[in-house]
Amino acid sequence: MIPLDALLHARNGPMTRELTLQTGKSALGQIPARLAPASTTNMVCGYCSTGCSLKVHLNAEGEAINLSADNDYPVNLGSACPKGWEALAPLAAPDRATTPLLRNAKGELEPVDWSTALDAFVSNFKGIQERHGLHALSFLSTGQIVTEEMALLGALGKFGMGMLDIDSNTRQCMATAHVAYKQSFGFDAPPFTYKDFEESDALVFIGANPCIAHPIMWQRVMMNKRNPEIVVIDPRRTETAMAATLHVPLRPKSDLVLLYGLAHLIIERGAVKREFVDAHTSSFAEFAKFVRRFTPEFVAGETGLSPEILAQLTDIIARRERVSFWWTMGVNQGHESTRTAQAIINLALMTGNIGRPGTGANSITGQCNAMGSRLFGNASSLLGGYDFSSPEDRVHVAGVLGIESALIPEQASRAYDQILDDIDQGKIRGLWIIATNTAHSWINQRSFHEIRKKLDFLVVQDMYATTETARMADLVLPAAGWGEKDGTLINSERRFGIVKKVARAPGQALSDFSIFKLVAEAWGCGDLFRAWETPEATFQIMKELSRGQPCDFSGIRDYAHIDATGGIQWPYTERDEGLTNHPQQRRLFADGEFFTSDQKARFLFDEPRAMPEVTDAQFPFLLMTGRGSSAQWHTGTRTNKSAVLRKLAPRELHVELNPVDAKRLGIGDGERVCVRSRRGSASAVALVTTIVQPGQVFMPMHFEAVNMLTYPAFDPHSRQPSYKACAVTVEKP
Amino acid sequence: MKNNVPLAHDPSHTRTLIDELLDEQRRLQTPVAVFSDNHAQGTTSTRYRDLIPLSTPKPGEQYAFQVDLDACTGCKACVSACHSLNGLDENETWRDVGLIHGGTTAVPYQQTITTACHHCADPACLNGCPVQAYEKDPLTGIVRHLDDQCIGCQYCVLKCPYDVPKYNERLGIVRKCDMCHGRLAVGEAPACAQACPTHAIRIVTVASESAGTDFLAAAPSADYTHPTTSYVSRRALPDNAIAADAATLHVQHAHAPLAVMLTFTQLAVGLLATAPLLPLPAKVAGDFLRTVTYYVTNSSGRAAQLAGLSLLFTGLAASVLHLGRPTRAWRFFLGLRTSWLSREILIFSSFAPLTLAALFWPGSGILRAAITLVGLIGVGCSAIIYINTHRLFWAPLPTSVRFLGTALIAALIPIHTPAAIILLLSKLVFEISRLLGKSVPARIQRGPLRRVFALRVLLGFGSVLALFVGQTLAAFALFAAGELTERILFFRAVDAPKMPGVPTA
Repeated sequence: MIPLDALLHARNGPMTRELTLQTGKSALGQIPARLAPASTTNMVCGYCSTGCSLKVHLNAEGEAINLSADNDYPVNLGSACPKGWEALAPLAAPDRATTPLLRNAKGELEPVDWSTALDAFVSNFKGIQERHGLHALSFLSTGQIVTEEMALLGALGKFGMGMLDIDSNTRQCMATAHVAYKQSFGFDAPPFTYKDFEESDALVFIGANPCIAHPIMWQRVMMNKRNPEIVVIDPRRTETAMAATLHVPLRPKSDLVLLYGLAHLIIERGAVKREFVDAHTSSFAEFAKFVRRFTPEFVAGETGLSPEILAQLTDIIARRERVSFWWTMGVNQGHESTRTAQAIINLALMTGNIGRPGTGANSITGQCNAMGSRLFGNASSLLGGYDFSSPEDRVHVAGVLGIESALIPEQASRAYDQILDDIDQGKIRGLWIIATNTAHSWINQRSFHEIRKKLDFLVVQDMYATTETARMADLVLPAAGWGEKDGTLINSERRFGIVKKVARAPGQALSDFSIFKLVAEAWGCGDLFRAWETPEATFQIMKELSRGQPCDFSGIRDYAHIDATGGIQWPYTERDEGLTNHPQQRRLFADGEFFTSDQKARFLFDEPRAMPEVTDAQFPFLLMTGRGSSAQWHTGTRTNKSAVLRKLAPRELHVELNPVDAKRLGIGDGERVCVRSRRGSASAVALVTTIVQPGQVFMPMHFEAVNMLTYPAFDPHSRQPSYKACAVTVEKP
Repeated sequence: MKNNVPLAHDPSHTRTLIDELLDEQRRLQTPVAVFSDNHAQGTTSTRYRDLIPLSTPKPGEQYAFQVDLDACTGCKACVSACHSLNGLDENETWRDVGLIHGGTTAVPYQQTITTACHHCADPACLNGCPVQAYEKDPLTGIVRHLDDQCIGCQYCVLKCPYDVPKYNERLGIVRKCDMCHGRLAVGEAPACAQACPTHAIRIVTVASESAGTDFLAAAPSADYTHPTTSYVSRRALPDNAIAADAATLHVQHAHAPLAVMLTFTQLAVGLLATAPLLPLPAKVAGDFLRTVTYYVTNSSGRAAQLAGLSLLFTGLAASVLHLGRPTRAWRFFLGLRTSWLSREILIFSSFAPLTLAALFWPGSGILRAAITLVGLIGVGCSAIIYINTHRLFWAPLPTSVRFLGTALIAALIPIHTPAAIILLLSKLVFEISRLLGKSVPARIQRGPLRRVFALRVLLGFGSVLALFVGQTLAAFALFAAGELTERILFFRAVDAPKMPGVPTA
């Protein structure tokens, strides 16, 4: 019988074996026998700022063939989000840039070799400088490359090529947190460690949707054993709002009023931690006086919230022992975002919720290396968090780098929007865009398309020649991506992690580091960077720059040290390095001493202002934009390359519309609509849902058309664009 | 402008910085180099142990997925972890995550839904498979697919109401979730459960009898296959919860070979049933071409018979083309006890020799009766195959009207023009009536497939017109083309059930 059964039922064979799992115990668990690795190596993910460690499976040649989540890393504890799981897919995309491309006489991008590309780069950019002055060049960089590359680029651009105003896409995501911390604490110092998610009694999320934006941080919230209150302050009923114990659906951009109102109620209730406030903060009295007029009645009127919900929220903040506040883009991207972030910081300070486990005013960062960019981008702060305007700082940094201090500009760079304005006015004529997709992501996108025409020469350096921005370039430089180069990233909790070369870049693509080195040589300033021989040599320079700074990480020996210890949070001084059993999770300000000159944290506040573009009869809906799904990252240049991630993301641009509005407009679920603002229009599919409130609509930012609509408002302190508020109309096409 | 980097092509420089950096870029660390570790070391995670049952199911029980909706917050890691840890093809996923939403403006509701194979108590895939490529594990209840047994007929794809079996073009077979039975066997959690950051997915033991009781309101009904997955939540699902892609029209695959097979076999059954009633030929001598010309012009009976045979064998050949792995199809008899597809294959396999026999014994009344009867049974089997998928568009009445209608009208066109006209007009009216209402097929046929539908109607009325003016041959040709178009609509416009998807999915 058995032979007959075997004949009739093919239970084994080549197709069955394709999926057979490898038997036998290993730390990886069972994996497909076909994909059994020769060895593995751990490295941090190159998408978001969570900084998960991925265990990359290597074949005998050292090439990545698969990956899994690292069980032993203190950040992700064996988990990863789908972008992490799919991190290798974008490397194999067929549209990788494999050679430099130069626009020819016919106006087409044509493959050229590196020396031709460098000649074009140097002759065009130097020509611009000769005609229009040194400062007629600028670059727009990214939070997506390693810190060493950021530092080299920042130094090259300013000290080598004479640029003055440079910026990066960190302006679009984290500039507000950077400025808010710097002003309030004296240094851009997010105080928390991820363990705080687990150790809070109450977590207050403001403009944050970690369930899909930072799922592995949300894992830590779910690991909290203290039965915490989870408050979500967000106009939308997001995934995180669904999981909250209290959702506070305020009107868009009324958060500053709400936060001042809460401060007022806490003062009224006598819940201010006087001892802490007196010892460790300044200007509380002025603040207390200022918030007096933010009565519950006033706040309820402005925010659309009931006085009961305000009381409930106040009660949670005042009563719970450990309260942590977490904010993301809902706060950072606003027209008064810096003061809003500082209003959160103020709440934490006045209730003594800082420096203790499970507390803090905590900014959840966006990109994998936004924190690296904030420290070493060399744009608004001098390399290592120094001050361009301070002669001592310039001399010190020049000394560490072995360059003339005269090469260091005496003022910080102006911001992204101001650089684009300068291009518009013909002051800046040459632009170098590195690993960002301005043509898709810039607010009021059409303006960038117009501005680009005024550039004499545009260089785009990217993994793909197919991004909206690369297609506009005069010269495309092919870059190696994450996984094809070495370096460090700094995550949201100030943790250095390393990335490694586990795949070969296609064709002539080079790491950004190598491209910067080539540019330096071609430009004729290679001598300035002799010591910056490799990424790891550059890391040693960065260490020296950090010495004595609040971010001092001079105690980190080298890459191997970071690799062996599961990442290292700054500060990590040589004194720390001597300690045995150095804790893997550390927070700042346990001693109540801040980085300001008087070591006191500052209460900073301003009168709230109406949002710059309000709804009216012609444009009656308020458009909010944001992350659409965990499977999509920014403009999709990488996530769209993975078939799995594409399946997990919406196929088309959609617009969330409340059923009340849909009924009034006669728009059915799934119907195609036109969303129009004063600046442009977008075709979208209506998703009729109560997730958004009446009068509000939401669109995911990953689709190019969305920024045709957005209104270019900027926070005056951080100059971060306000992506989440503009007036639109929704109509049948 | 002086360029400090020597040109790569400059013969005076054999090595340039560009060359060096390009070489450096290509050098990978080898597994023995710094930092890489032997994967046999390190920690095997044990935190997933509580996600799987401690013991194997008792009789009457089976393993099942349980999803804690309150913990499932939309990260979708389960999908990609399943993909990577099971070594699936680049565009292949066995798990999916969708969204449902509803509630009121005062109490809004949204919930992500993770879904894979539900390892049903009464698996439709297994019941429909003609070659027993599915097995329900007697111990664990896991519905396993035998990849080397599968013939790639994709009937399971049509049968499963949850869109679980996925056709793999490269292999020509379907593949699907096996609940990581190999992992479970050694006490390891399935890939999806391991990967879930919030432990929303676990394996539990359920009584097979109660399967489907905790299923999802916004998903296809559990009555058909009794899915064992349970979705649990502390809060009640609002009554108006719908899938985020509920309004998205999913135009389905045309399955062209199947459309050809169905229409051609049905046309053939009709033609072959009535061909003997037409004038039979006198003997002719001469070459093949002359013979055929003579038959067609002088003997409608023989012409109809030859046309019927051509259609039949073209249709049967097309059905083989539909299979991803036709060489394995000899095992079709294994499914005879449960699969109407097996039965259809058997019936048409016996129908073909009967029709050939009729060439030699044209006068046999028994043979004529047998051809008519077996042919109709074959058409019936074809209809039941689709009726059994529990899809509204393929319900008993519309499917019978279409399939039997094709055969009947084909039978009548050569012998009774008025009856053919009346029946064809009725069939057209019936199909047009299906355009009304809000059903998915109506919306697809009014929307994305409106041109195909218009073509179908034009061909149908063209055939009626040709019948009116006595052009029987043209009428039949137009009729056949119309029926083929109708059958493509039958496949493409069907309401294919599935689990909730993401917006615009």
